[in-house]
Amino acid sequence: MACLVVLAIILLAAIVAPLIAPHDPYRGSMIRRLRPIGTDGYPLGTDELGRDMLTRLIYGGRLSLFIGILPVLNAFVVGTFLGVLAGFAGGKTNMTIMRTIDVFYAFPSVLLAIAISGALGAGIFNSIVSLTIVFIPPIARVAESVTTQVRNLDFVDAARASGAGAFTIIRVHILGNVLGPVFVYATGLVSVSMILASGLSFLGLGTKPPEAEWGLMLNTLRTAIYVQPLVAALPGAMIFAVSICFNLFSDGLRSAMDVKL
Amino acid sequence: MKTRVLAAAALGVGLLAALQPAVGQTVLRIGMTAADIPRTLGQPDQGFEGNRFTGLTMYDALVLWDLSSAEKPSVLVPGLATEWSADAADRTKWTFKLRSGVRFHDGSAFDADAIVWNVRKVLDKEAPHFDASQVGVTASRMPTLRSARKIDALTVELTTSEPDSFLPINLTNLFIASPAHWAAKLAAVPASVTDAGERAKQAWTAFAADASGTGPWKMARFVPRERLELVKNDAYWNAARVPKVDRMVLLPMPEANARTAALLAGQIDWAEAPSPDAVAQIKSRGFQIYANQQPHVWPWQFSMIEGSPWTDKRVRQAANLCVNRTDMKQLLGGLMAEAVGSVPPGHPWWGNPEFKIGYRPDEAKRMMAAAGHSAQKPLKVKIQVSASGSGQMQPLPMNEYLQQALRECYFDVELDVIEWNTLFTNWRLGAKDASARGAHATNVSFAAMDPFFAFVRFVESKMAPPVSNNWGFVNDPEFDRLVAKARTTFDAAGRDAALAELHKRIVDETVFLWVAHDVGPRAMSPKIKGFVPPQSWFVDFSPITMN
Amino acid sequence: MLEYLLKRIFYVVPIGLGVSLVCFGLVHIAPGDPLVSVLPADASLELQEQMRSAYGFDKPLPYQFALWIWRAINGDLGYSIATGRPVAPEVWRALGNTFMVAVLAAAFGFLVGSVLGFVAGYYRGTWIDRASSALAVAGISLPHYWLGMVLVILFSVQLNWLPATGAGPGGSADWVWNWEHVRHLILPALTMSVIPLGIVARSVRALVSDILSQEFVEALRAKGLSEAGIFAHILKNAAPTGLAVMGLQLGYLLGGSILIETVFAWPGSGFLLGNAILQRDLPLLQGTILVLAMFFVTLNLLVDLVQTWLDPRIKRG
Repeated sequence: MACLVVLAIILLAAIVAPLIAPHDPYRGSMIRRLRPIGTDGYPLGTDELGRDMLTRLIYGGRLSLFIGILPVLNAFVVGTFLGVLAGFAGGKTNMTIMRTIDVFYAFPSVLLAIAISGALGAGIFNSIVSLTIVFIPPIARVAESVTTQVRNLDFVDAARASGAGAFTIIRVHILGNVLGPVFVYATGLVSVSMILASGLSFLGLGTKPPEAEWGLMLNTLRTAIYVQPLVAALPGAMIFAVSICFNLFSDGLRSAMDVKL
Repeated sequence: MKTRVLAAAALGVGLLAALQPAVGQTVLRIGMTAADIPRTLGQPDQGFEGNRFTGLTMYDALVLWDLSSAEKPSVLVPGLATEWSADAADRTKWTFKLRSGVRFHDGSAFDADAIVWNVRKVLDKEAPHFDASQVGVTASRMPTLRSARKIDALTVELTTSEPDSFLPINLTNLFIASPAHWAAKLAAVPASVTDAGERAKQAWTAFAADASGTGPWKMARFVPRERLELVKNDAYWNAARVPKVDRMVLLPMPEANARTAALLAGQIDWAEAPSPDAVAQIKSRGFQIYANQQPHVWPWQFSMIEGSPWTDKRVRQAANLCVNRTDMKQLLGGLMAEAVGSVPPGHPWWGNPEFKIGYRPDEAKRMMAAAGHSAQKPLKVKIQVSASGSGQMQPLPMNEYLQQALRECYFDVELDVIEWNTLFTNWRLGAKDASARGAHATNVSFAAMDPFFAFVRFVESKMAPPVSNNWGFVNDPEFDRLVAKARTTFDAAGRDAALAELHKRIVDETVFLWVAHDVGPRAMSPKIKGFVPPQSWFVDFSPITMN
Repeated sequence: MLEYLLKRIFYVVPIGLGVSLVCFGLVHIAPGDPLVSVLPADASLELQEQMRSAYGFDKPLPYQFALWIWRAINGDLGYSIATGRPVAPEVWRALGNTFMVAVLAAAFGFLVGSVLGFVAGYYRGTWIDRASSALAVAGISLPHYWLGMVLVILFSVQLNWLPATGAGPGGSADWVWNWEHVRHLILPALTMSVIPLGIVARSVRALVSDILSQEFVEALRAKGLSEAGIFAHILKNAAPTGLAVMGLQLGYLLGGSILIETVFAWPGSGFLLGNAILQRDLPLLQGTILVLAMFFVTLNLLVDLVQTWLDPRIKRG
């Protein structure tokens, strides 16, 4: 519960960032670089270019949440579509889709994300593309297995016997039963996505400066670890907090909806 | 129980002792910034860091740099050649007299055949030992060299494609490997490998793992990607430069924090380029920081093609006047020199430009206003930069700083951060290429110790892409005239005067935003004595002692 | 059963082919010149062409792919562009180094994770459960490369107890299992163990609490089976799934070591991969990804087979 509040606050702060942030996130000064936490006017200190840390952490939430959530959302849509299609159609279609998915599933996720990002080059868009590709296979697998289970249930047979079209069956019966578990599964991937995205930024394959994004801030502040270790640790703490909250949220959702995957 | 602990401890100590080098041996351990050990077979990769660690240590060139002074710019000194001159009648023919009595590490004698063999390894496709992988880093550094011919045992004649007074400077990049040692490696390739090209390739791989040159250091141990151990060459031909340290261990450590941590934890004695923010901590632990201005330039190179905002000279000069380089220096913890040209004032090639670069924001704003720009109507410029890269110093903070600074002078700077290799590749493809993505300037740093690399490739019109690095398509007959004049002036003083004229025009025409010179910062343990930080990319490891 | 096993083993072939196609394709959609690490910025057009044909990059892609696959099957991954050394031995050596860290990390992570998970599941709903679960969630929520840097500052720079980087005084080539070398393993392995620790703990907790909530456990208890007996029962039932989770985690450790190996300059497969990406060394990049992915595929297969053997009721794939 506490976590939902934390997530809500961070999300809200990110949305209204321009209204509440005390400074310009891109404007700094060499004279006041790397100030400690508690500096007058800069409550969380300043970064390596003298920009206000509090402001950048607030703004950073926008991009970090964006590249944490969007790939999972994309993969949720694409993966569910592929999984339901494969599960419902069966036969050759299932074979083609699932075997292709298996190929991508055969890569450890970090390796696949880094390989795709390394190939496409750095940037927010490319990070999102590579993470989306990483999350499609697991989501599609879950969707396919749930669809296959549901498809063979009695009420679907009954609907089919009563002359309902394939589209209606998918829309009414299958999606209704599949979306829930797949959604719960996907929420658990958000924290993985955030950590992977920050890792990409750390390797220089993710977000580009001067954007404020927690993974990138962690990366650019790491040489300051000898001067202002606490300031340098702040973006890491944010990633940690949000990631842990998403995990707990997903756990709660899972037990509330009684989903077993 | 107690005895067992003691026994274990004794065993541990015994193992420790076994791992330590022989008593009294001095070992110098260096953390390099390279992600991998530069190639060891003669022509190193990894830019000039490669030449510094695996070129000039194990090998010699015909001509060497004098690295003994911290006060003066490094100049050329005889290496494996004792004297050289261009033929007065045909300026494309050079005669090099070779040093006698020099031996390779494998014991074979150095002579004119070795020079011919080493020129052919990169320039003669028909040679059995031709190695394509060494061509790239070599041929471009001596663009006019064509062939070598033996006159007698200690004299060779080198031929260039056109008269080129820069040849002796270029030749500091041709490292002389042992032909006899390579022949032995070739003979040792299993007979089952029959393809001649494949045999040569395997011989080079074997040579790289057990190299032989004439340099002051000999290869002792090579663990790919992890470490290279060199031992001193007691028989080095220049007795004054026989190393005082017994063994040197080179470790690739691309991460600045990892180098700093390794130094502070006592794993290495010498860290190349420590991160500026760690300098205070490093000093407080009793370590020393050495730095000296290097022939290196960290610029924005402007595009002069149609539609680029930099085609207006007022804009180019305004940018140069809007950057507070002293502030930038503070950002880098003092580890840079402020650049007001491609070479510093006082350099033989300086030439006293009329446009004086400095921090004069009001003048810059006036120039921008005259060009029709204002705070309300800022000038949009797009710059391609990288997040890392050899010689790039701290590219992100530095470019972000420029972005902020130029905003005061009505510039709206967009940074297009791309991968280092992509940026570097685009340097050759030019501003018009799709990979430039419409950028108006590129941020590739460069070495400025050779006139071709410092000036010619950026301003001569025939160096426009895809030939060389005239990225922004500078096209000015006056530049072309000055380049030709310098190239064909064969007395050293006259050549320097011509180059000074060229540099003066480069600054007056302002083809770059000059920002910084690297100072080659190094952090060292107080045990290291006798180190001289020269004004060069290179270092002489010979006089260093350790106590 | 045998038929299933054969089918499962045979199925690796198309997957392997698909994986290699992805490896090859990924590397070739990449922007930037494949010869950038050996070609200087100002190489002439002629020189570029000459080099391109010397390295075979002028051939059509399907031909390059077929050649690469054929050689890979024969254990030859070509020569690195940047160093000129053969790729295969370097990849194997690096994989061996990664294996050392990964196995140590796995051993630690699995052990602690299993204990945490077991305790949490066994004492469901108590404060012990909450504390262990919180620890497990923390494990999977931490950016582990960041943890690595913090550990270096703490244990290497401040306390000077453990080395910050590298694989021992002589590098990995003369690795010996003694303290002087093993101390180099500790920080990377500890950092790496955090994620599997969290995941294993969570999986084991779910398994254990699931088994405990089944009615027959109550029945066994009612019959007077000792707690030790129930413990053994839980262990037997949780083992197949638990092992599967651990097997996959070991695979993730091997494939995901790049961040940690970068922080610790550990000469493993991740470090090699980082180098290959940085230098755009195509043969090295393709070779490393291929070997890692194939290793993962094989590991998956083994996990499946072992799981089927332990519990024939499970039929997957």
